[in-house]
Amino acid sequence: MPQTEGSTARTEHDAEFVALLNATWFGANLPPEAQVRLVGLARRYQAPAGTTLLTEGQLANEIGIVLSGRVSLRTLVPEQGWVTILTVEPGDIFGQSALVPPYRSTSTVVALQPVDVLALDGPGLRAALAADHDLAAVLYPRVLQALARRLNATRLQMLDLFAR
Amino acid sequence: MTSSAVTTVTTEPRRGTGFLPRAEFQHLIDLLGEDGRTVIGPTVADGAIVYGEVRAVSDLPVGMGAEQSPGRYRLVDHHDERYFAYAVGPTSWKRFVFPPTLDLAESHRDEHGHVSFGPVHHEIPKLAFLGVRACELAALGIEDRVLLGGPYTDEDFRKRREHALIVAVQCAEPGGTCFCTSMGTGPGVRGGHDVLLVELADGFLVSSGSEEGAGIVARLGLSAATEDQLVEGSDQLVAARDRIGDPVATAGLHDRLLAKLDSPRWAEIADRCLACTNCTAVCPTCFCTSVSQRSDLDGRTAVTERRWDFCFTKGFSAVALGGNFRPRVQDRYRQWLTHKFATWIDQFGTSGCVGCGRCITWCPVGIDVREELNLIAPPPVLGTEAQVAAHAPRTSVFHVDAVRPETHDTVTLALSTPDGMDWSRLHGEFVMVSVPAIGSIPISISRRLPTGMELTVRAVGPASTFVTGLERGAEVGLSAPLGHGWPVEAAHDHDVVIVGGGMGFPPLRPIVDEILAHRASFGEVHIYHGARTPSDLLYKEELAAWASRGDLDVGVTVDRADTTWLGRVGVVTQLFDHARWDGSKAIAFVCGPERMIQATVSTLAARGITQDRIFISMERHMECGVGLCGHCQVGPFFVCKDGPVFSLAQLGDVFGREGI
Repeated sequence: MPQTEGSTARTEHDAEFVALLNATWFGANLPPEAQVRLVGLARRYQAPAGTTLLTEGQLANEIGIVLSGRVSLRTLVPEQGWVTILTVEPGDIFGQSALVPPYRSTSTVVALQPVDVLALDGPGLRAALAADHDLAAVLYPRVLQALARRLNATRLQMLDLFAR
Repeated sequence: MTSSAVTTVTTEPRRGTGFLPRAEFQHLIDLLGEDGRTVIGPTVADGAIVYGEVRAVSDLPVGMGAEQSPGRYRLVDHHDERYFAYAVGPTSWKRFVFPPTLDLAESHRDEHGHVSFGPVHHEIPKLAFLGVRACELAALGIEDRVLLGGPYTDEDFRKRREHALIVAVQCAEPGGTCFCTSMGTGPGVRGGHDVLLVELADGFLVSSGSEEGAGIVARLGLSAATEDQLVEGSDQLVAARDRIGDPVATAGLHDRLLAKLDSPRWAEIADRCLACTNCTAVCPTCFCTSVSQRSDLDGRTAVTERRWDFCFTKGFSAVALGGNFRPRVQDRYRQWLTHKFATWIDQFGTSGCVGCGRCITWCPVGIDVREELNLIAPPPVLGTEAQVAAHAPRTSVFHVDAVRPETHDTVTLALSTPDGMDWSRLHGEFVMVSVPAIGSIPISISRRLPTGMELTVRAVGPASTFVTGLERGAEVGLSAPLGHGWPVEAAHDHDVVIVGGGMGFPPLRPIVDEILAHRASFGEVHIYHGARTPSDLLYKEELAAWASRGDLDVGVTVDRADTTWLGRVGVVTQLFDHARWDGSKAIAFVCGPERMIQATVSTLAARGITQDRIFISMERHMECGVGLCGHCQVGPFFVCKDGPVFSLAQLGDVFGREGI
């Protein structure tokens, strides 16, 4: 029956996405209910090297989880041109501005290699987190971990330890 | 002591004590001056009793003494006939056996670029030290341990010590800042002298402490001292001891002091301390030195000059790549006090203080170490012993066989020597690279070669800039490899994690070489290199070759990049903080700026690598390379001699502590 076939297809699709999530440190070992919620908000896309995935100042509509490939977070500095602040490697996220008002990207995100991305719909995820506190309780610590890791790294970069 | 075994202080005294009437003292001075000896003893000069040449009794401070208290010294006239009724003044015998400045070596570079290195030969004067106190004999004994106790030795010091005859004088007039009783060094003389004098009202008790001293005493032709005279002498000594008391509780001081590294008192002292270096300049045991080059105008010929240096100066602990590990006065005061009374014992088996009180008297603001020790480490057990000797490393001439630019300011030099020695088999982590007229710098070995080595050098100062500018065929001087390197053999059958940041990567390259030579002896191998920008990355081709082997995990990252860089951007810890390897089986080797090491160590620890399996190379100001100049001290260690590679477990809480 079409409905059953659709459910099966949906289930297979969900299982595949859950497996993809589990292969990333960001998504691994979340409770099954949380993973199902996330998968319901996810789309998967591939992009060739050189693709701009997000532009600084523009609305960030999706949080991206890098499955493979490398993306750079860049900012334009007068007289220096585009400076790469950080690269995001498989397992890590970009576009988390989609969770933080005013939901605008703080850097320009460009694929350095062909990338495979699992993208979570920003407005949908915000609504889910507001409505489902169990989901929020397990997801926010991951987001916080990703941010804290970047903050620590940024501090070390600011120290410019290798300058001397 | 004129015997060859200068560290021996237990020579059996000759039996019998003679009496030398005061009127015949000139006879003793004359005897001491025989055999070409210059007699050095107390004289009055510049408002103090200082050591200078003594030819006649009238040169001595007849009837003079000095009042001493914290920050105060005043000559006083006792209106009597005594010559030695004073406590020690600002000079110590150190300057005669360990001169304030000394030419160590000469180097030349001829018009063809050939370089040569040679020692400077000194005429060592024959001296007789007249009036050496018990505390000062103890100070000479401590210097013997430091400078002759090995593994490296100061041969100039050895000769000067051997050429000095020592006439000790029993202390009868302690000063207001003395505490030899607490330090266990006085006031009674217990050995280390050739002749011992005890000054009485009308003359001197005279005994000998060595063969040579016995010869001199015999030539004085003395009558035996009477019972009353001997009693008068021992009464004086007892009175002196009573006057000093026991002002510092030294039992257990080592542990008590090291437990107080975080005392707020350090900052309070620093509010008063001027960091003027007076205390270290007058100290009879401080041995720290710096070496500089004095060259002729065309830079062809240079003399390497060593001079006393002081841990209170800000530049003392500054490192080549910039930065300073003891920037605050409180850091330097803590370094000085904890070294004298604690870590000195760890290093040399003896306290570094003899309780002479000079540092108290000559402190312009009157900081009193007796008081500070009791305040910082209020009161229980003493130290041990140490010795043995060897010889300092010689400089060998090496040829530059190849120069490979690594970055805009960094090159790798391949160097060899025709001396036939298999340099690849010599242990040691770094070499001192010497350039005539420019100086010596410590450089880590970045590859071992059968006839020499590779050194990767960044131009940061005059010497390193000169070295990076050398061309094929040029010559430089190199010491034998120094220090303790990476314990690569400890990593056999383990996984290995190598993390190198910036110029911290070259010292790690020999580990990779060793692993590749015996690949099957190691488990998984992870190599991580971080640099400032892509153009600052070192060994780019080699990194690529290692990565393509398939049996090495190689990660490279930079702190910032432009759009042409397609590699990783981020700090080095991000290369492995989410890696999948298991740290419980791994040994880590880490080198880079200290703050990077700290961040790396935290991440490695979080991945399950315990402190005894994390080895780091400490960056400190290394100047002599053999543990004799004092610059690179960290807690109980000299980084050049005891390191530069340490396990975190070995360093304990010394690692990452501010101002140490």
